[in-house]
Amino acid sequence: MLEVKNLTKVYDDGTVALKNISFTVEDGEFLIIIGLSGSGKSTLLRCVNRLIDPTEGDIIWDGVNLAKLEGEELRKARRQIGMIFQHFNLVRRSSVMTNVLSGRLGYSPTFQTMMHQFKESDREKAWQALERLGIEDQAFKRADELSGGQQQRVGIARALMQDPELILADEPVASLDPVLAHSILTYLERLNQEDEMTIVCSLHYLDLVQRYSTRVLGLREGEIVYRGTREEIRAMTDEEFQEIYGEQAQRVTGGLEGNLDEFGLGE
Amino acid sequence: MNHRKKPEQEARKPSLVPPYLAGLLSLVVPGLGQFLARTYRRGAILLGSFISLVGLMIWRIQLAGKRVEGALEIIQKAYRLRPILIVLTVLMVIFYLWIAYDAYLMAKRTRGTPLGLIFMVLIIFFIMGWQIGDINPVALVTDLDEAAGPLSEVLWPWERAVTYPEEEIIAIMPIQVPCTESDPPDVPDYGEGEPRLEAEPRCGQLSEQGGETGTKITLHGENYLPGKTVNILWEDPIGNEFRARQGGEYVKVVPDENGEFTIDIVLPYRLLPPSATEPSYIWDLKARQVTSLGAAQASKELKLAIEKIIETIFIGMMATFFGVIIALPVSFLAARNLMSANKFTLIIYYIARGVMNIVRSIEPLIWAVIALIVVGLGPFAGIIALTIHSIAALGKLYSEAIESIDPGPIEAVQATGANWAQTIMYGVVPQIIPPFVSFTIYRWDINIRMSTIIGMVGGGGIGFLLIQWMRLLDYKAAGIAIWFITITVAILDYVSAEIRERFV
Ligand SMILES: Nc1ncnc2c1ncn2[C@@H]1O[C@H](COP(=O)(O)OP(=O)(O)OP(=O)(O)O)[C@@H](O)[C@H]1O
Ligand SMILES: [Mg+2]
Repeated sequence: MLEVKNLTKVYDDGTVALKNISFTVEDGEFLIIIGLSGSGKSTLLRCVNRLIDPTEGDIIWDGVNLAKLEGEELRKARRQIGMIFQHFNLVRRSSVMTNVLSGRLGYSPTFQTMMHQFKESDREKAWQALERLGIEDQAFKRADELSGGQQQRVGIARALMQDPELILADEPVASLDPVLAHSILTYLERLNQEDEMTIVCSLHYLDLVQRYSTRVLGLREGEIVYRGTREEIRAMTDEEFQEIYGEQAQRVTGGLEGNLDEFGLGE
Repeated sequence: MNHRKKPEQEARKPSLVPPYLAGLLSLVVPGLGQFLARTYRRGAILLGSFISLVGLMIWRIQLAGKRVEGALEIIQKAYRLRPILIVLTVLMVIFYLWIAYDAYLMAKRTRGTPLGLIFMVLIIFFIMGWQIGDINPVALVTDLDEAAGPLSEVLWPWERAVTYPEEEIIAIMPIQVPCTESDPPDVPDYGEGEPRLEAEPRCGQLSEQGGETGTKITLHGENYLPGKTVNILWEDPIGNEFRARQGGEYVKVVPDENGEFTIDIVLPYRLLPPSATEPSYIWDLKARQVTSLGAAQASKELKLAIEKIIETIFIGMMATFFGVIIALPVSFLAARNLMSANKFTLIIYYIARGVMNIVRSIEPLIWAVIALIVVGLGPFAGIIALTIHSIAALGKLYSEAIESIDPGPIEAVQATGANWAQTIMYGVVPQIIPPFVSFTIYRWDINIRMSTIIGMVGGGGIGFLLIQWMRLLDYKAAGIAIWFITITVAILDYVSAEIRERFV
């Protein structure tokens, strides 16, 4: 269970990105965070695995307060939390394999990894992850030679290498077209349902939110302005959605029925 | 926003003086009228251009009218010698009047572009530059036939690249000058089968200028190679060797099939420092045959050029090596994203950047001259010069590569629970290796190019040979050096492009 209590983040320049936020994510949930650009979604997700330090508040994960961890303990905790990024954040000039294996760094001895040596079991695991995402034949290409959808799958494979119990996904499909968006989210859904991983994901598209979420949080200017269950969000109309979400709200429906022309109008 | 508004405001404010006065004032001091019409920048530019043009004119006129007294005479002489100065003067006068007219227009608040005036200034500067630069396109053509010889030697210098080993066949006969009571010196002991000479008489009188011809000596030689020219030489008592001349021609003779010859030699005219102590002197009469034997060999020049081109390549290599080693740590200090953490590191960043910019703006040749003062002539000075320049150039390129690192992958690696060393190895290193390699190869390329000319100021390498041979007018040898430089640089170009393509 992930428990966020009174979380506040003030950036060095004085921007208050999160204002006293509290919420709970039960194990096995697929929580989707929606909100305008600048509402604090990334800040929230990055506070959880401490890519940025919260100013105040607690983040309790498995009984450990992540907000207070330092050094070795923080690294141990990070291993349990996979992260998927909007821009994939792969090392572009490294091979797909190296990128995937880097997900295992937290479990590997420093000296061996400096020589690019990984345990045989880790390599095996990497192949399994690539196979699961259907990109095993890309393993030795350079990461930047892959298409966007393939790169995001590499990103997921890298996260899988951590054997995570929680996956943070910061707009994982924002730089992909709608068909790819569905395919990536389907992978996440599978991890959620088959592997029972808890998923916290920020998203933009209403129908994706309706289709994949078990629960929804709405953020505006660093505050939670909406909390909804799966049922509530499915019953929601576009107008209601835009009210909490703002102008950026958009649908990508039709994509799966094959009306491809509409995709181009998405932006 | 701000800078756009300014000219408009400037234009809207009324002139401080009426138009005709502005024009008159600009006749007194060019640009003054524009100032008072509140077109300050225009006034400043016109005043600046006018003053510098007048200054340049005065200088050119003085230079052309050298060595005469009085201003008028100087100007007259200058105009006579360099008619183009008259053209310039006329243009200057037009420019001067135009400035006044422009001031009138400005004060009337007419909106005129200064394009015409700028064009005028450019034309005057251009003509002036033509004159100062001594530009003479005709010289490209007129001296071409004179240059054709040396040029073709430079283009195809390869006969200078080989030599044939030579052997000298020589015999010497001492002759006493003048004849005295004492006997002439002994005939040398010629070896069995060696060339030998006989002379009759063995002593005599030198020729006198415009007077009597000297004693005629009949010289007989044996054991020479048949059919090959024998040159006759004299060596005077103070050791100067010169070829014997008779009737304006060098004396030479071809031995018969037995290797024998006989020829008459007249004692030459020579002025020698008088020495009262000696009653007579010994002149050596020599008969010399030169034969080349064996296969072609690399000439001295070719060997030198090879040695020096190797030295050149190594100068470039060592400079790159030292440059990289020092530039690596320096580049981290000069990377803004690493150094903007606090004021102290930011100051270090500015210092590192500043020093590198200054050092880089000074050409390696100048660094070489400075290094020469410290370590003296030779390759080490060249290495120091190129190293200094490389540190600055590479430091800047490296630090820019560091600055353009994408923080995304670094965060992603961090998020997996990797420690600091692992994050560097997997997040940072793969991003900076390719640009670093590419820049290093590029620098290596530049350094070897530079090392080919750094020798011209004494910094070692082939440049030194080139400039030396050029000064000795040994165009063929210089041609060899130029060929070597060209070939080396071409190969290097290809190799470095190839390597860079692999890495980036
Ligand atoms: N490093 C930073 N320094 C200062 N302010 C920041 C920083 N990062 C984000 N902010 C500010 O914090 C607020 C929240 O930003 P955040 O990136 O979390 O928004 P977001 O919801 O992820 O937006 P988007 O949908 O555009 O990604 C914004 O006002 C942003 O300008
Ligand atoms: Mg964001």
